[in-house]
Amino acid sequence: MSGGPAVRVSIESTCEKQVQEVALDGTETYVPPLSMSQNLAKLAQRIDFSQGSDSEEDEVEGEPRDSEWNKQETEEEEGTVKFQPSLWPWDSVRNNLRSALTEMCVLHDVLSVVKEKKYMALDPVSQDPAANKTPQVFQLISKKKLLGTAAQLLLKGAEKLSKSVAENQENRRQRDFNSELLRLRSQWKLRKVGDKILGDLSYRSAGSLFPHHGTFEVIKNTDIDLDKKTPEDYCPLDVQIPSDLEGSAYIKVSIQKQSPDIGDLGTVSLFRRLPKTKAGTQQWHVKLEAAQNVLLCKEIFAQLSREAVQIKSQIPHIVVKNQIISQPFPGLQLSISLCHSTGEKKNHRASPEKPKPDDHLYVLEHNLHQMMREFHKQQLSSVVMPHPASAPFGHKRMRLAGPMAYDKAEISNLQQNEGLLEKIIKQAKHIFLRSRTARTIDSLASRIEDPQIQAHWSNINDVYESSVKVLITSQGYEQICKSIQLQLNIGVEQIRVVHRDGRVVTLSHQEQELQDFLLSQMSQHQVHAVQQLAKVMGWQVLSFSNHVGLGPVESIGNASAVTVASPNGEYAISVRNGPESGCKVLVQFPRSQTKELPKSDVIQDPKWSHLRGPSKEVHWSKMEGRNFVYKMELLMAALTPCP
Amino acid sequence: MGVTCVCQVPVAEGKSVQQSVDIVHKKLEQLGAVKQGSFWVDCETYHPTGNVSGQPSKLLYVMHNSETPLSCMGLFEGGPCLIADANFDVLMVKLKSHFQNAKAHKVECRGSRYRYCDFLIKVGTVTMSSSARGISVEVEYCPCVVPGECWNLTKEFMQSFLGPSVPELPSVFAAKPEGLFAPSDCVDTMTQYLELFNKLRKMQMPGSNVR
Repeated sequence: MSGGPAVRVSIESTCEKQVQEVALDGTETYVPPLSMSQNLAKLAQRIDFSQGSDSEEDEVEGEPRDSEWNKQETEEEEGTVKFQPSLWPWDSVRNNLRSALTEMCVLHDVLSVVKEKKYMALDPVSQDPAANKTPQVFQLISKKKLLGTAAQLLLKGAEKLSKSVAENQENRRQRDFNSELLRLRSQWKLRKVGDKILGDLSYRSAGSLFPHHGTFEVIKNTDIDLDKKTPEDYCPLDVQIPSDLEGSAYIKVSIQKQSPDIGDLGTVSLFRRLPKTKAGTQQWHVKLEAAQNVLLCKEIFAQLSREAVQIKSQIPHIVVKNQIISQPFPGLQLSISLCHSTGEKKNHRASPEKPKPDDHLYVLEHNLHQMMREFHKQQLSSVVMPHPASAPFGHKRMRLAGPMAYDKAEISNLQQNEGLLEKIIKQAKHIFLRSRTARTIDSLASRIEDPQIQAHWSNINDVYESSVKVLITSQGYEQICKSIQLQLNIGVEQIRVVHRDGRVVTLSHQEQELQDFLLSQMSQHQVHAVQQLAKVMGWQVLSFSNHVGLGPVESIGNASAVTVASPNGEYAISVRNGPESGCKVLVQFPRSQTKELPKSDVIQDPKWSHLRGPSKEVHWSKMEGRNFVYKMELLMAALTPCP
Repeated sequence: MGVTCVCQVPVAEGKSVQQSVDIVHKKLEQLGAVKQGSFWVDCETYHPTGNVSGQPSKLLYVMHNSETPLSCMGLFEGGPCLIADANFDVLMVKLKSHFQNAKAHKVECRGSRYRYCDFLIKVGTVTMSSSARGISVEVEYCPCVVPGECWNLTKEFMQSFLGPSVPELPSVFAAKPEGLFAPSDCVDTMTQYLELFNKLRKMQMPGSNVR
């Protein structure tokens, strides 16, 4: 009779929420995370309903599990056995039946109430798995067995998978090589020779005549361990470039002042600029581009040295090792060198020679590259098709010369072909002349405060010509003293100076010439300024000369002079200004104001006293005023009588 | 290529053609002009052989100028003209069945070239089948291409060494629909030469019996 109740009524919730299983194919169904109601259920589950004396509570709770039911029943039975000794043999049966009836009635009531869904709702109470501990050994054994089969299945599947992955990887490597090759093919010229794939990185197809073959070989990169993880930058394709194109190279152009002895001319410093690798470019691409750059640099240098030997110039060009030296101006040295650094040695080389100042002329280096490419293009376009069947071979513009009726000058323009070296020397000369002019003007402007020099450089220049506008003004009088405006056209060998009135002066490349010229212009400016000031002040200009022939001889330029008379004619100021002797200012007083003048017998008439008398020099340095024109204005103001 | 004016200089009384040319040279050198090589202009005449009904046949002149050494000009009498490269001569040989070369009518003008600042002066002797027919003087003002802008200057300059025999404004310039202010080109020069050659061709040289 100790067995479970005869009638088992079990109410189960939908099982999906509690069931947690491992399917044969390995998929697992987890218990979904607890929602609000689930949480409530869990809390409810903690309540030990079996201990409550009121069995109705148990029923209200909803769904006692079989095990719980059993436990409860056993407890109940024990209770009856212990505390209530049986009165008659069917007592326990009766009791049980009665309690079952009571429970059934309660259950019925509950169900009817629940059915209404008005006052009560049923909620499942999940079972704590820990509580479930009925036949543990059996469960363990069955679980072990199940897990064993599942594990076997899994292992089998894993084996299959790993096999297919390895296969895939091999396939992909093959495919990667092909796709890389395709990418290489889209950017570089390739051809197949035997079982090798050769590529061409020379500029021959772009019109280069450089004899280097520039061939590289495409190889498959196979030295990679299949088992190890492939590195991030692994590329199945690799290129092998000729050994003489390895490393990096550049052309260095610089201008030096002193020429060192030819004896210690050597290989110039080869410190290497770190190549910047763009993200996302392949290794082989970087490698090929570097090699192509080396090739171009070599071609430029070869062309330059060939021209250096061929061209006859007054001072012969020198080609030593990797350096071409030319003398554009006396005492000046233009050196063009090919710097080619290969691989690992660079680090030792770089450090000791680095302290040298970076005297690159990047513009010229860039222009060299550009001119080389232009040369290539010219080579290419002279033989380019399509070509009119009747036209003579040659350059396209040459072909047009006939139908367009070019005259001799135009044709000779077309035909003249300056070499690379000549062009670059001309450009270097121009650059040097320009920088020297700028330096001369700047040093003059900083040295001399009165008058002021302003230089306005044009932004856009030709490679052989640039211009600067030089204004000479006096501080505070910019509006009235604008007489000197110079336009300096800096060419290759000389500087042409155009005055505002159209006069043209040609200066050579000598620094001193420009400096002397500007000094003389500045001295003239002062006299011009006095003239302008006189107009503003109402004074009268009596005489003016840019180049006076009297007085001490100036070493540069000529002195200029002006004489102005006060509005009422009583006073006169004479100014003489020379570039070297400086300014000399004289004031002429009326005869009436001078006492020491001897009375002459000849000029007795009082009207002669209105004549101006002797002159007196003004101690100009003692005059008050911040600059020459200001001092002059003060002087004029002092000599003008108050009305 | 500037504005050019081609004119004929009469042969001085009692002087040969060469002597007259020398006189002009001397005048130019006195002026300060510098000799700069030589020049030549030639002209060949072609008769059209094919009869195009209803159209009077026009002569075709093929001319060369040393100033434009790579070009060849084909001018129809009073009609259109074309500028081509030197292969045009070869083409004319191929067109023998349509244009026949009148060899006897070949006119040439050779002489020396002077430069005086912006002016280019070419004094030449016009020869037709190896007999000198006259003297031509071409004056070119290089910096300008608009005849209206520089004609007076050119005229004044020509007066300085040609004296009274300075021509009027060349008719090529005046005849243009745009008038004097249309830019001139090498065809204008060649038209003037052609007019001069035709004039000299019709003129009967004393003492010569060449037609």
